[in-house]
Amino acid sequence: MLALLARAPRRTRALSRFQGTGARLAASAWRRWFLDRHAEFWLGQLGSAWSPSELRARVVEVIDETADTRTFVLAPNRHWPGHRAGQYVAIAIEIDGVRVRRCYSISSGASAPGDRIAITVKRVVGGRVSTWLHEHLTPGHVIGLGRPQGDFVAPTSASPLLLVAGGSGITPVIAILRDLENRDAVHDVVVVHSAREDADAIFGRDLAVMALQHPGLRLVAHRTATVGRLDAATLESLVPDLATREVYVCGPSGLRGLVRSIAGDRVHSEAFTAPIVCAPQPDLAVRTVQLRDRRLTLAGTGTLLEQLERAGEQPAHGCRIGVCHTCRCTKQRGTVLDLTTGRISSEPDEEIRLCVSIAHSDLELAL
Amino acid sequence: MTTSKPLSPADADAFGRELDALRAEVLADLGQADVDHIRRMIRLVRYTEVAGRVLLHFGIGPLTFALGVSALGASKILENMEVGHNVMHGQYDWSGDPALDSKSYEWDTACPAEDWRHSHNYEHHTFTNVLGRDRDVGYAFLRVNAAQPWRVHHLVQPISAAVLALLFQWGVGMHDLRINETLAGQQPVSELRRRARPFLRKAGWQLAKDYVAYPLLAVFNAPRVLAGNLIANGLRNLWTFGIIFCGHFPEGVQLYSAEQTSTESRGQWYVRQLNGSANIEGSHTLHVLSGHLSHQIEHHLFPDLPAARYPELAPKVRAICERYGQVYNTGSFAAQLGSVARQLVVNALPSGRNALRSVA
Repeated sequence: MLALLARAPRRTRALSRFQGTGARLAASAWRRWFLDRHAEFWLGQLGSAWSPSELRARVVEVIDETADTRTFVLAPNRHWPGHRAGQYVAIAIEIDGVRVRRCYSISSGASAPGDRIAITVKRVVGGRVSTWLHEHLTPGHVIGLGRPQGDFVAPTSASPLLLVAGGSGITPVIAILRDLENRDAVHDVVVVHSAREDADAIFGRDLAVMALQHPGLRLVAHRTATVGRLDAATLESLVPDLATREVYVCGPSGLRGLVRSIAGDRVHSEAFTAPIVCAPQPDLAVRTVQLRDRRLTLAGTGTLLEQLERAGEQPAHGCRIGVCHTCRCTKQRGTVLDLTTGRISSEPDEEIRLCVSIAHSDLELAL
Repeated sequence: MTTSKPLSPADADAFGRELDALRAEVLADLGQADVDHIRRMIRLVRYTEVAGRVLLHFGIGPLTFALGVSALGASKILENMEVGHNVMHGQYDWSGDPALDSKSYEWDTACPAEDWRHSHNYEHHTFTNVLGRDRDVGYAFLRVNAAQPWRVHHLVQPISAAVLALLFQWGVGMHDLRINETLAGQQPVSELRRRARPFLRKAGWQLAKDYVAYPLLAVFNAPRVLAGNLIANGLRNLWTFGIIFCGHFPEGVQLYSAEQTSTESRGQWYVRQLNGSANIEGSHTLHVLSGHLSHQIEHHLFPDLPAARYPELAPKVRAICERYGQVYNTGSFAAQLGSVARQLVVNALPSGRNALRSVA
């Protein structure tokens, strides 16, 4: 009897160990490698946007908005979590063999998993990504997609609204408007849409139609080519009850500053920050580095690996001469010089090797 | 046999600067063509694998068996050499494609990629041919150079080398376990057990895949599929053994001591990589099937440049070597393999010559 009692738990243990092994196997890196990667490959061969793990989207339609602005309607795969109107998303495309990522506001209203979304892209002179999108991205293409981000989102309360948009800053604003429209919540909204002239006012026609359909929507089409830039006095005369409204502004920093100077804390704003290219400042000795969960100050000379080690960090590394790639990490923001290639890396989310990189600005590293 | 001229520190630096310039040229030119090449190779790997498995599973008779084994063997060779080895070196990290990412790639062989990235990318490529630091020298149990101390077990090394050739993936897979160190009492058993864990997991998966799952899928054809997979793995083993041994163990390749290399400059590191490696001459097909390790010299000088660039770099590297009086060790596959075989036989016996070459 005693022996039986003693043996029973052992059998259970053996059983649970067996089950544990099965679970580990199912979740192991090798399952991901052998099953998921093979699946990725064959799905890629079929040109499918479906993927076991990656968030991707197929381009279903391309719409010309203005002479230099296009809307790309995307059908995300099953990994799309849905988004709130006003949020932005990173897209990943490949240009000359290199994957590049850029963030764009979603110009369609809120989405649920399975819904289509749209991004609206103004072609920037000399802009590599926007130019590529305009020249190459056609229906049928599959592109990489990030998760939706940002807290410049449609209001849930019913308070009176003022939406101010400058240039391509209209894209998240129209998303918020469409969301209000879908929810039948366009009660008391003023939209001030600043653009150079009618021809390059993105969504100018859509806004005009919306204003006709909704008595609760007042549209102020401000055209800088004819009446000059928006200033505080003009804005206050255009929207006399500005003080009573919840304010949303998206556009150039001048416009955001202007609106904030009048409306103060009631402003939700969104900046379209182009990738920050920090000018190299090799003479500045002290830099701060933001890691995933802490901020460090790096002082003294040497490579990033040496500086991080002096600051008490222990990043994974191997050869210390740029050969083995063990210390590779993603630099999310900032500028570094690669000593072995002489190359300056200043774009966001580039891979760098700590042991041969010199910080040229404050940095953000995925460590 | 002629040997490389010893270079002064200044000459070594100048030599290194010329190689750095070559490297910069290629880096500036990387783009779509490189990514297209490796993706073409990945497609070839996948399609030949499917072709091989279909022929083994559904074919009848010896001809489809031979074709199936060849296709599957070629697929595994290409995957290990041209895709796996090169991708894991970070040769395509610049592309940002997760399918070509060095840190997450896992390959179709018994060696866990994580172990490989440490023992190969770091240890072997940093301390190439440094006795006591580079455990790839004779894989720590063969005497491939007179500078290595002789031990009694080296007497049978022609036989142990032949066994290693047949079971090469297992040799590579167990390399990072350092069993020899535990046998010599230098590594505790607990450490061995810790090191063995990833290998055992990977090995179990590999065995289950090729010798259980696929044969079971074939139902009545199970013995044929099992035999086919075994031979395909064996062919891959022999080929990779041949290519890799030709890369570092032919006559004329230099060994170094830890003291000699402790204060090495970047230029001197280049000199050691050159003198520690040997090339194989041959056709485009041979280069691709060797994962361009037929250009072992260029690979050791530029381990993270896409390997398909080595053939265009080779004449330039060779010209630089000539100007600096450095031997560029190259020969046909047969000649280099014969040279390796001679080294294995000659060094099986104790010999007096035990001098390490000076770096400077």
